[in-house]
Amino acid sequence: MTRLLELLINGVSLGAVYALIALGFVVIFRATEVVNFAHASLLLLGGYVTAVLHDDLGFLGALAVGVAAAALCGAFLEFVLLRRAKARRDVVAIATVGIDIVLTAELTRRIGTGVLSLGDPWHNSVVHIGGVTIAQTRIAALLTAAVLIGAFLAAFKYTSWGVSMRAVAEDSETAALMGIRLGRVSMSAWCVAGALAAVAAVFITAFPTPGLDRTTSVAALKAFPAAILGGLDSTTGALVGGLLIGLTESLVGGYQDDLSFLGRGLGDVAPYAVMVAVLLLRPAGLFGTREVSRV
Amino acid sequence: MKVRTTFAIGLAALALTSCSSKAVSSQDGTGADGVKTGKGVTKDKITLGALTDLTGVYATLGKSITQAQQLYFEQLNAAGGVCGRKVDLLVRDHGYDVQKGVSAYSEVQPKVAGITQLIGSPVLGAVLPNLERDKLLVIPAAWPSSVLKEKYVQVVGSTYEIEVINGIDFLVRKKGLAKGAKVGHVYFEGEYGESALKGAKHAAAAAGLTIVEQRIKPTDTDMTSQVSALKAAGVKAIVLSAGPKQAASLAGVAAASGLDVPIVSNNPGFAPQLLGTAAGPALQKNFYLVNGLQASSSNVPGIKALVAAYGKKYPGQTIDNGVSFGYVSAKVFGEALKDACKAKDLTREGILAAHRTHAAFDSDGIAPKLDFSQVGKIGTLESFVQKPDAKAAGGLTTVEGPFTAEAAKTFTVG
Amino acid sequence: MSRPPLTALLWLPLLILPFYVDMFWLQAGLFVMAAAIGAIGLNLLTGSTGQLSMGHAFFLAVGAYGYVYFAGETSGHVTGLGLPAPVAAVLAVALSGLAGWAFSPIAGRVSGVYLAIASLALIFLGQHVLFNLESVTGGYNGRAVPPMKLFGFAFDDSSELIVAGVPFGGLERLWYLGIALLLAAMLFARGVLGARPGRAMNLVRDQRIAAAALGVPVGKVRAKAFTLSSMYAGLAGVLLALTFQRAVPDYFGMLLALDYLAMIVIGGLGSVGGAVAGAAFVTLLPQLLARYSGDLPLVAAPGADGISPAVAARYLYGAAVVAVVLFLPTGLSGLLSGRLPGLRRSATPMKEESPQ
Repeated sequence: MTRLLELLINGVSLGAVYALIALGFVVIFRATEVVNFAHASLLLLGGYVTAVLHDDLGFLGALAVGVAAAALCGAFLEFVLLRRAKARRDVVAIATVGIDIVLTAELTRRIGTGVLSLGDPWHNSVVHIGGVTIAQTRIAALLTAAVLIGAFLAAFKYTSWGVSMRAVAEDSETAALMGIRLGRVSMSAWCVAGALAAVAAVFITAFPTPGLDRTTSVAALKAFPAAILGGLDSTTGALVGGLLIGLTESLVGGYQDDLSFLGRGLGDVAPYAVMVAVLLLRPAGLFGTREVSRV
Repeated sequence: MKVRTTFAIGLAALALTSCSSKAVSSQDGTGADGVKTGKGVTKDKITLGALTDLTGVYATLGKSITQAQQLYFEQLNAAGGVCGRKVDLLVRDHGYDVQKGVSAYSEVQPKVAGITQLIGSPVLGAVLPNLERDKLLVIPAAWPSSVLKEKYVQVVGSTYEIEVINGIDFLVRKKGLAKGAKVGHVYFEGEYGESALKGAKHAAAAAGLTIVEQRIKPTDTDMTSQVSALKAAGVKAIVLSAGPKQAASLAGVAAASGLDVPIVSNNPGFAPQLLGTAAGPALQKNFYLVNGLQASSSNVPGIKALVAAYGKKYPGQTIDNGVSFGYVSAKVFGEALKDACKAKDLTREGILAAHRTHAAFDSDGIAPKLDFSQVGKIGTLESFVQKPDAKAAGGLTTVEGPFTAEAAKTFTVG
Repeated sequence: MSRPPLTALLWLPLLILPFYVDMFWLQAGLFVMAAAIGAIGLNLLTGSTGQLSMGHAFFLAVGAYGYVYFAGETSGHVTGLGLPAPVAAVLAVALSGLAGWAFSPIAGRVSGVYLAIASLALIFLGQHVLFNLESVTGGYNGRAVPPMKLFGFAFDDSSELIVAGVPFGGLERLWYLGIALLLAAMLFARGVLGARPGRAMNLVRDQRIAAAALGVPVGKVRAKAFTLSSMYAGLAGVLLALTFQRAVPDYFGMLLALDYLAMIVIGGLGSVGGAVAGAAFVTLLPQLLARYSGDLPLVAAPGADGISPAVAARYLYGAAVVAVVLFLPTGLSGLLSGRLPGLRRSATPMKEESPQ
């Protein structure tokens, strides 16, 4: 029983990290209808900057610079790619693959053979709750994700930025006619997504994972199924999707002995299997907007 | 009309091919010094190839091995080379991509007399059928038993199975692992992990232990759910056959969740860089590495000379297992070339034959004595056990060894 | 392509190449041909029908392992059916098509990026199966590929054959098979695109609702395009397996799928010739940089400090994708045909459309 509880809690905390990453996808998709495949490299960038600077600036200072760097980079991508490309939105998405390749190549070259610590204040401390052990970093991840996602839901609802964002997502042409500056909305979304990626970098590299190294961006890929199965245009979807993926991974890993008939090493595959199952039932994801036209 | 033109051009082309450089001709020859030479050997140069990974997942390993091999051949050339010829290392980086690896092999193959380094089991698997055709001796940067039977592949050291068997022997002798105890085994999917699992099962059967399996992928870097499963199963020790990141996570999580048991790992499971991470203290407490090579901090003359020379050529760079392995495997080729020169036969077959005469290869103590005389036989059954230590060179100090477990002697490759 | 004499001239040098170049180039050329076949298939789906797929590598794997399984013999721990090689190749392509068709409940209903990521699932699920289904795939270390045999003529090194003084080994022989397959693949794709199905596909891409209104069954067209593209991938997989001589599961991963997307974008979406050009660019670039790194400025030799050839190849490759999307929407095909982007609207998807 303790084991199940431990796996559940671990899954939820892992899911919180995925939710943070997935949120980045969602914010960009809502504003610009582009899936940003370069998100993983933005994460790597934010993490790298934080890792390099934390000795001099302290963790929070370094993180602030890392967040700023990733946000700036996101804004720059929006400026270079989205404003100029006249191609289909999914072709622009392929262009972000190109960006990802260049950025990742450069960052991994700089990271080289090192395993970098981001200098987070939690180190390897754990909390024991009724026989269950959880890493403090994971609790921090859960709280951060909850606060950020709550803030986003509120911002979407009550601020003028959020209202314009929603208007653009609904119908960008009408929104533009109503005086909403599409460029500003789109750029702010990319900024925010970059910032979120940098925050997620802290949690994806912190204990129990060993630190930032050249393969960190691969781990960020696991947030893809999270974003899709929740619904790419839904903030709530990012949270639910992240948690579902985290739980699946944790449970399948923990009970792999009982699932051995499916082949071992299922932990990586299960999230995708869950995603396919969800898409079969709901093609736009759990909370995604359904396609309006029926054909 | 078009067809006729095409045909005429085709015929003209066929006529031209008589002057093509590809036309059948003998590759082997005999130089003025009476030494038979083959591909990769000219009158003043011997070229060897290295198919490595400098930009992919095994970049850390690839860089260390490549630099150590370049160091060895530099020293060899400074001492006069072999047979009056300089030895040149042709390095190709495939980034752990099978297609690039196969292409690199095709490019390098006609230019070299042997391959001193090949990283990536999938790449080795893909070029395996060609080795026979090209009669090319290859040293893989891996220790699988499945290639022992290959005439043209030389595993330098023992195998993953032997490492795990010796590791479990160490646990039984030194860590009080009693009959009937459960041992967790966390291993990578694929050849490395599955070979290790065979060794673990063999050793467990011999010592009356039960293995609790946890198979993972190289992309899994959070070992929390594995640790909780092993804790629930009540294991008294853990064997790890994965990479450094998994080692750090496993040791860290186990320590944090109160699973205070020894962890022994195969040699690819450690990198000195880990000691600077949050898991550093946990690694220094409970982690043991089973290794076929002496720790860089040991006092063996071969190691001391290597560490000094490497530090001089590549100042400030981490000295790890890859450095020692790269140096030894380069030396294996160096010695084979020297003996082939004595026999006046620097063809690929000549180099292979000279290599097979080494039944107790001496690397100045960097590795145990290695037996290369028989295809299909494991080079050595001995291992070292080492322990992470942030203050030691290369981050490791020797705990024990070289030693051979009784169970290792009864293990058969099959 | 209404200039057959010129096109034929372009193909001619390819026919005499095996008499001159060494193994490296032959192998690289065969990789390009296989990639080109696969890229044409993906372009039918992504370029012409507007469906983004990241699962192409999975269907390559189905083709490659399908061939190995059908043609291979049962020995040791692997099983096979031991069918004649040409039959096995045809069955392997059919099997890929079947796999693509089986995905149609998703491929027909889901579009745009949703399909991209749903198909990404195929890669991960596929690799899991490849690693675990050892009796078919040989597991992690892969499995030897039985050579192609047509009318008693084997495409491998087993029998000695010397043509005009040049020894003709497996790769030299495969070269001509590759050219024949590529030519057939190109002609068939042109046929599809130039006729009714092609117009339906373009309409589904550009004006989905109008297409439905005109009576084009959108879901069916998408599913059929997906199936056809999978069969192309299967054929590419067979040719790749024959070139490799050994099929290893590790190869068919996500990077490969991304490579194919890059190929069709760089080459020019919707263009058959462009897919071939893109395949050549993406496949040859890293190999050329690695081979000639010593002679290139700014690129360091492997093992030395500085920008290694592999990293330089990544920069160029990524930058090419971005540059094409930004400045050259018709890709290499637009450049090669000498028509400026913007003047040529017919085959190129310039129109902005929401992915859903």
